[in-house]
Amino acid sequence: MDHSTISKDVSRRGFFQLTLGWLAAAFAVCASTVGAVRFLVPNVLFEPSLLFKAGKPEDYPDGSVTFLEDERVFLVRQGNTFRCLSAICTHLGCTVNRTGQGYDCPCHGSIFDDQGTVKSGPAPRSLTWFSVALSKDHRLLVDKSKQVNPDKYLVL
Amino acid sequence: MNSSLPNRIWKWFEHTRVGRSIFRVGLPQSNLERAQAMVSSFLLHIQPAKVNRHSLRASYSLGLGLISLYLFLILIVTGVLLMFYYVPSTDHAYNNMKDLQFVVSAGLLMRNMHRWAAHLMVIFVLLHMCRVFYTGGYKRPREFNWVLGIGLFLLTLGLSFTGYLLPWDQLAFWAITVGTNIAAYLPYIGPRLKYLMLGGNVVGQEALIRFYALHVIVLPAVAGFLIAVHLWRVRKDGGLSRPDEPGDVIQQVEVSQLPTSKTYGLMELARGTTPQVGKNPEDEVFAWPHLVFRELLLFLFVVVVVLLLAIFRNAPLEELANPIHPPNPAKAPWYFLGLQELVSYSAFWGGVVVPGVLVIALVLLPYLDRKRRGVGRWFARERVVANTIFTVCLVIAVVLTIIGTLFRGPNWSWQEPWKKPPAATEGH
Repeated sequence: MDHSTISKDVSRRGFFQLTLGWLAAAFAVCASTVGAVRFLVPNVLFEPSLLFKAGKPEDYPDGSVTFLEDERVFLVRQGNTFRCLSAICTHLGCTVNRTGQGYDCPCHGSIFDDQGTVKSGPAPRSLTWFSVALSKDHRLLVDKSKQVNPDKYLVL
Repeated sequence: MNSSLPNRIWKWFEHTRVGRSIFRVGLPQSNLERAQAMVSSFLLHIQPAKVNRHSLRASYSLGLGLISLYLFLILIVTGVLLMFYYVPSTDHAYNNMKDLQFVVSAGLLMRNMHRWAAHLMVIFVLLHMCRVFYTGGYKRPREFNWVLGIGLFLLTLGLSFTGYLLPWDQLAFWAITVGTNIAAYLPYIGPRLKYLMLGGNVVGQEALIRFYALHVIVLPAVAGFLIAVHLWRVRKDGGLSRPDEPGDVIQQVEVSQLPTSKTYGLMELARGTTPQVGKNPEDEVFAWPHLVFRELLLFLFVVVVVLLLAIFRNAPLEELANPIHPPNPAKAPWYFLGLQELVSYSAFWGGVVVPGVLVIALVLLPYLDRKRRGVGRWFARERVVANTIFTVCLVIAVVLTIIGTLFRGPNWSWQEPWKKPPAATEGH
């Protein structure tokens, strides 16, 4: 090993100083970038709670599909079973409209059947079903953070 | 020189001590002073003292870049005025719009001018890009300025899009909901990007303040800086593209080797890498008055057109934003409707892949198409292949935009604009 050719250009001390300097500069740039991006990511959201009470089960007549405007969901009652379907189109987030046989999205024309399955249009996934439970004070309790399969019911 | 009263007052003023301290050179009387007037003025010095006759031809450049710049200036002025009344809050924004419309003196006019100038800027930046393409202006040595131009085009769209949310009406709310959901289709970073843009999961107060900050400071500052670099590069790359320019405009020129054929060698006193503005002094005329007065005239023309539009056409304002009821059909801003039409077939392919590939292709274009033939002429025969490809892409984009704008009715179904739309399906 011949160190002399290397040391002619950069001394050992110079090499470490250079490396340290560039590393420090790179670290400073990266850290401040990451810090700035992290600053922009909110820690607390002032959005409505995903868990909400949807009133008494008796409020919904048998066989009805009720649109709850504020929560953008449909509450579906069949006999003594209750389900909750998201009204937010899985394509680009518009609110779907209830039609006779299913649901239509007004933005890009996706059509869903009454199970929320895509029949036509650009929507990549079926509409989401949310978990429905009964609270202690006998109210329907919908949790929009919990997705369930369409064959899951709350039976009363 | 005519000797009207304003002219005599000016003559008197420019010879006073104060006048001399402001304007080193008065109204130029000789060719030397014409050159000095350009070089000694902060506002004019970005332009050369002499310009090529070819660059002055309106039939060549059509003034499209300048028009875009003027629209940007109009947008800055009207935008700053609007800021004095606008509060970026979901409780106030919409009412501010109504105030501007009905209460504030000339508020409606300012808002209309801002809106129409924004739409026109999108159109003219695009037309400017087409002009540069069809005349081969992106070729060496102007490759990088083309790339800067693409950046400015995207910034123009970004400025327009962020401004779209601010009125907080139905149009704004749903256009941004659709637009940000398209971004969410980007692989891996998509959902995070949407969360970062909106400052949450839905379009609300956090999103409004973010779009506001982007719209009034971040994007204009970046665009302003890039415009400055873009203009500076036009100068450094040898002015507008011309058919007769030498292959390499940029040459290393020693001061001692500078050509002495010019009547005034003022602008050659630059050291190092410098453009040879023109080979032949006969091809050049003094920027004052030939260029400066054309520019002023064009500026007046642009202001008049925007004013007329603003007087006779009102900017749209729909109902207050309502997250529950999307309008049917919900449409993005018109310049994104080609994209929305594509998105109606597939969000990933139409919203991410196609526009992504197009932008990358546009950026790489000057580095891929390297032949230096047919530069400086419209639709040069040597460039028939490139021109055909570009025209096909352009026509597809325009047709898709027209379909999305005019031929899409409720539920995004096909709807001839001359027929009455069927009653929109409402009720849930």
